[in-house]
Amino acid sequence: MSFRQPSVLPGFGLTFGFTTCFLSAIVLLPLAALVLAAGSMHFSDLLRVVTSARALGSYRLSFGASLLAASINLVFGFIIAWTLTRYEFPGRKVIDALIDMPFALPTAVSGIALTTVFAQNGWIGRYLEPLGIKVAYTWVGVTLALTLISMPFAVRAVQPALLEVQRDLEDAAETLGAGRLYVFRRIILPTVLPALLTGFTLSFARAVGEYGSVIFIAGNLPMKTEITPLLIVIHLEEFDYQGAAALGVVMLVISFVVLLTINLLQAWGRRRHVRAAH
Amino acid sequence: MSITLDQVTKHYGGVPVVNDVSLDIGDGEFFVLLGPSGSGKSTLLRAIAGLSGVDHGRIALHGRDVTHVAARKRGVGLVFQNYALFRHMTVAENIEFALRVRHMRGKVRRARRKELLRLVALEGMDERLPAQLSGGQQQRVAVARALAHKPEVLLLDEPFGALDAKIREELRRTIRQVQRELGISTVLVTHDQEEAFAMADRIGIMNLGRLLEVGAPHELYTAPATRFVATFLGAANLFLARRTPDGIQVGASVVAAAGAAAGGRGEHEVVAVVRPEEVEVAPARDDLASGFLARGVVEEVMFTGALERLRVRLEDGAATPLLSFVDGDSTTALQVTRTQHEQRGFAVHPGQSLAIGVRRVHVLPTPLSSFTACATSAALAEALVRQPLLAALVARMKTRVAVRVEPRLGVPDAPCESAADFVGTTVLASQTDCAYRAEWLLRRGAQDLLVLPQQAAAPQRVLIHWMGEAVRGATLAVSASVLRHLSAEAVYVGIVPDDGAGGHGMRELLDARSEAKAAHGLEIRTELRYGDVSQELARRLGAAPGQMLIVGVADLARFAERFRAVLDSGQWPVLIVHRAAP
Repeated sequence: MSFRQPSVLPGFGLTFGFTTCFLSAIVLLPLAALVLAAGSMHFSDLLRVVTSARALGSYRLSFGASLLAASINLVFGFIIAWTLTRYEFPGRKVIDALIDMPFALPTAVSGIALTTVFAQNGWIGRYLEPLGIKVAYTWVGVTLALTLISMPFAVRAVQPALLEVQRDLEDAAETLGAGRLYVFRRIILPTVLPALLTGFTLSFARAVGEYGSVIFIAGNLPMKTEITPLLIVIHLEEFDYQGAAALGVVMLVISFVVLLTINLLQAWGRRRHVRAAH
Repeated sequence: MSITLDQVTKHYGGVPVVNDVSLDIGDGEFFVLLGPSGSGKSTLLRAIAGLSGVDHGRIALHGRDVTHVAARKRGVGLVFQNYALFRHMTVAENIEFALRVRHMRGKVRRARRKELLRLVALEGMDERLPAQLSGGQQQRVAVARALAHKPEVLLLDEPFGALDAKIREELRRTIRQVQRELGISTVLVTHDQEEAFAMADRIGIMNLGRLLEVGAPHELYTAPATRFVATFLGAANLFLARRTPDGIQVGASVVAAAGAAAGGRGEHEVVAVVRPEEVEVAPARDDLASGFLARGVVEEVMFTGALERLRVRLEDGAATPLLSFVDGDSTTALQVTRTQHEQRGFAVHPGQSLAIGVRRVHVLPTPLSSFTACATSAALAEALVRQPLLAALVARMKTRVAVRVEPRLGVPDAPCESAADFVGTTVLASQTDCAYRAEWLLRRGAQDLLVLPQQAAAPQRVLIHWMGEAVRGATLAVSASVLRHLSAEAVYVGIVPDDGAGGHGMRELLDARSEAKAAHGLEIRTELRYGDVSQELARRLGAAPGQMLIVGVADLARFAERFRAVLDSGQWPVLIVHRAAP
């Protein structure tokens, strides 16, 4: 294949060059600086920082809560997207617009709002308290905050895919004798699966990087409700730039591995399709 | 019967999209539902498939009532216009879908798949994905998939819509072949009349949610019963002609009408259909082999291969008004088609003057020919012509409105100002002394009289009633004709007088219903009321908005008095059908 292909935008050389420069300047360079900063540490120090009990606890919370939040969004994001694409009801446009609110809100505002509602004397929190359910200042609150701020990604990723599932397909399956569950499993799900995975990935990525909303509702007890981004900030406040960088690199590596795995899964799914075609 | 529909009705937002459709489709029959978009044909097909419920009526497949049976248990195969193949499955998986749902063994599935692929001539395509097939091939897969579970009925919803002409032809032949080979009852929905002619054993034509006519293609083309069918199936020239004792008078000559003669109304106006190929042109009147119609000037000559199409403008003074040309564009240009043979005999060019003859005339059985707006001044009559319901009827019936001025309308014992006979349906504006005016017109020869309130729009329900057996036939004929042009439901209101003179009320209801169905193909509902006739009619009209009344009257005695309640309120459109008892 030649690099020279006619296209609307000016030459491949120019656009490729621009892409490389842009990515380098705003993504690769800062990341490289981060790795370098961490690399300047003595190895035993680095190991001590990244494997301290407090750090390990924060990874567990950060990635565990993010995966949980992304999974919740996978299910409920799908249901919301389904409702919005399949039904015509008064206020649909309003709900559709509301989905994007977490995008627009400063994340700190989301955090404060959630805390107000779920704190022990909050609107909902006061009814949950007697039941022995604590939301604010526990991992549940962290998950809730992460679910809220990453929800738009899940909904918006699935919505266009659902629009593409034509009603006719379901009608056809029905006349062929398929029940609702069967139609959902064999027709709808396979069609929207790539979009669902994308939504999951985006939600997860957004949740891992979240800081602002979580710190208000988490309570930030070391080992219990302290997320890794907060730990990084704590290191920074103690002027321990290298320690912060080291934790940053760990987050980078774990996130990269998770995202790469999901992408590979998707690519594998696509390939299997194409192979079936030959 | 493999498919039986009985008074199937489906509403969307109060408007009937499928309106009282009853139909029997035989075993192994290829039935085509033909109609313009929005006529309700696809909705009806979906109702048969079970994908949308019905509000009223019953559906039976092979004698089994499936009205409330889910689509997946009906045993039908459905093919969609956009193929609706499962994109993430191979051809084999698509075809085997119905078998997999039924947990059939792999070996059985494979055998059935091979057989179906042979049937639609796609052997060896098993492992392809739909995206790798052409449109025609995809639709073949869709047909094979729909047949996999051996359905009792095959339903095709505009299956050729997305294909180009050549592929379309090929696929048509394949589907017809498969259908014959399997002997499966099939319903195809289309808006393409050529497609319907090419494939159908019988055609049912739908418009405004109503099944207008059902018949073999040839029957429907040569002897349509309605204006809609006449103009929708091929091109038609519609004339307002006169039925005389000797035959049909079109223009200067009297032609024997094809088909049955209408029963005893004496001389009256009718709607005549002349197909473009039944028109003859010649240099002079004496050269015509057929009856002379008028002289005309050629406006346009179009060569279309096998046939030549002419548009000929009738010269002034042609005695016969021409109603429509092709798609209902009201114009006085006549459409003519000529074969190569005819062209060789007499070549024509635009601007040429020639004599026009008519070989065959078909008279529509409809009793409503044209409208005449009648009022005390020309200005009032013109205003009446613009009344919305009248304008809608005129447009849908592809007819015209004349104007008749009667300055002394309603003055007792005054004669008619105009010497002309009352022609077609007379229209009168609804106002205070309207009942007297109506009687005045009826006594002076008006036979069908439409009384219209200023703002009345197209009704949603038409109530039908007649007083006296003598007008039953005429009232039903008029009702059927009106209802074909309105998407309204028809209700016969039987009324048993309080004085106990009745007792045959229920019998009358059943007779009305069966006669409407048998003679006019019109499905009507029935209801029975007790009390004074005119009061009950007024009460029933007032019970819901958007109603219209068609009432048959034989005896004009005390007419104004009896109908004051209904006519003078000026709220409802009322069509009075008057035929004197013999």
